[in-house]
Amino acid sequence: MGQRRRGRAGYLRRRDLAGWLFVAPVLIFSVIFFLGPLLFAIVLSLHQWDMISPVTQMTWVGFLHYVRLLQDPLFRLILRNTFAYTLGSLVFIPPLSLGIAFLLNARVRLQWLWRTLYFTPVVTSTVALSIVWTHLFDQNFGPINALLGDLHLPLQPWLSSPTEAMLVVISLSVWQSLGYYAIIFLAGLQGIPQELYEAGSLDGAGQWAQFRSITLPLLRTTTLFVIVIITINALQVFVPIFVITNGGPVDTTDVVVLKMYDVAFNYLQMGTASAMAMILFLIVLICTLIQFRLARTDN
Amino acid sequence: MNPSLARAGSPGRRPTNVRRVLRRAAIYTLLIVGAVPMAFPFYYVIASSLMTPDELIQIPITWWPHHPQWQTYANVWTVIPFARMFVNSLFVTLAITLGILLTSSLAGFGFAKYHFKGRDVAFLALLSSMMVPFFVLLIPIYYIIKELGWLDTYQGLIVPNIVTAFGVFLLRQFILTIPDELIDAARIDGARELRIYWSIILPLIRPALSALGIFAFIYQWENFLWPLLILQNPSMFTVPIGLNSLRSYADTQQNANLLMAGSVLAIVPSVIVFLLLQRQFVRGISLGGLKG
Repeated sequence: MGQRRRGRAGYLRRRDLAGWLFVAPVLIFSVIFFLGPLLFAIVLSLHQWDMISPVTQMTWVGFLHYVRLLQDPLFRLILRNTFAYTLGSLVFIPPLSLGIAFLLNARVRLQWLWRTLYFTPVVTSTVALSIVWTHLFDQNFGPINALLGDLHLPLQPWLSSPTEAMLVVISLSVWQSLGYYAIIFLAGLQGIPQELYEAGSLDGAGQWAQFRSITLPLLRTTTLFVIVIITINALQVFVPIFVITNGGPVDTTDVVVLKMYDVAFNYLQMGTASAMAMILFLIVLICTLIQFRLARTDN
Repeated sequence: MNPSLARAGSPGRRPTNVRRVLRRAAIYTLLIVGAVPMAFPFYYVIASSLMTPDELIQIPITWWPHHPQWQTYANVWTVIPFARMFVNSLFVTLAITLGILLTSSLAGFGFAKYHFKGRDVAFLALLSSMMVPFFVLLIPIYYIIKELGWLDTYQGLIVPNIVTAFGVFLLRQFILTIPDELIDAARIDGARELRIYWSIILPLIRPALSALGIFAFIYQWENFLWPLLILQNPSMFTVPIGLNSLRSYADTQQNANLLMAGSVLAIVPSVIVFLLLQRQFVRGISLGGLKG
């Protein structure tokens, strides 16, 4: 009683020490594995280094990497690919997962069945799924083309076509994430008080009107959250592209993190790779800021 | 409660039976229609894993093997040291999960229930530094691990992953809701700080711990990029890396059955964990999702 505020100074200080000790492991860890590496990465992006010669002998190049990268047509293509993938994800995932959330929100039987069906993809290994996708869309033997053939639709080149290869990779991302964002939207939907809809019905508002004036506005924070997370994740995509196309055909699905991995660990150009990472990091920050701003001005 | 059950048109009238039935039919239809593409890849990977090489390259396509080749599953274990990889994955994933639970709960407790000077600054700094995406840090962290001689080791796989911003944030939120009186009462009874953490805090945040644990497990099980960077020795491979290496053994459509069987085996553990702990998992997402 009363020891929390004006208590004896010695006791208070011992408790403060306990507090510091509880958070110390995480703080120390973050200095070693987050703060330190962040600073190192920034410094590295201004140097040339192959990680074989001693770190003290890195060559200073200033902003050379940045200038070179931003002028390089290949890197620009890679940036465009990354944006295309992100855009594709943003176009398909939110509406579809919101739709699924609506369906799940209705009092349907067999909730466990729908949850399992829509959610197992989320917990499934992306590497395994990427391998399956590669075979699903196999031009000659894959079931997708087989289905198209059965429906007398033209067979598609899928992974050998630049546009379609990107669509294949996006489809994996969409398929795998629907359940996850559906749950998030579901939580958002269930946070909307039922009285609002009842009042809306009494006023004669129809289905669609209720959706537009009650549901959507109240889902705004949830939607913003979903969009931001999709964007951040999509900009850093690696596994599906590494496994399914490895950047092909001819660099048309190559994305920043994949190229960065290649440049760093196959060509040992740590400085360039770090500069790539910094550019992407900046893009992630800017995208997130823009999305938060847009959400604010809408209000 | 469902907004889409409310009726369009005349105010205050309950939906007629016909409308209600149609609505439910529509909902179920959509759910089923949507479920088909969701289930299709799973069906395909299982079916292909049981086909013969001839069936795999057959045109028109074989939709289900005539004689399921169960021995393919046995073969996978011999083509690559898959059993070893499972052990590696299990050990590493469990170690990381425990580490995350421990570090997140300790830090969450410290940030929630202690009021030392600089606490809020430290919390903010911590959170911002941990929000930096991994790809930015991967070269420096690789270098650190390399200099420590931890390439191709368990500690190299485990240590860089044992702290997450999400975990600290989530558990701090949870611990904030624990009444201070409980803690004060324990202190009056003479309990030391660590004992308060262990006997009072931990049991009270069990739901959050299990949700966080499940998340961590499933995420770390399929972690690919980091093991890809630091592992060269096949006997240290984790399952995702092993599966990736299987691709070079089964690089044509004809021996895709091996690859598919490997994929099924890789998928099974996460699915089991999810099915057993569905409720906590879903709850964990809503918690994390809304807190942002």
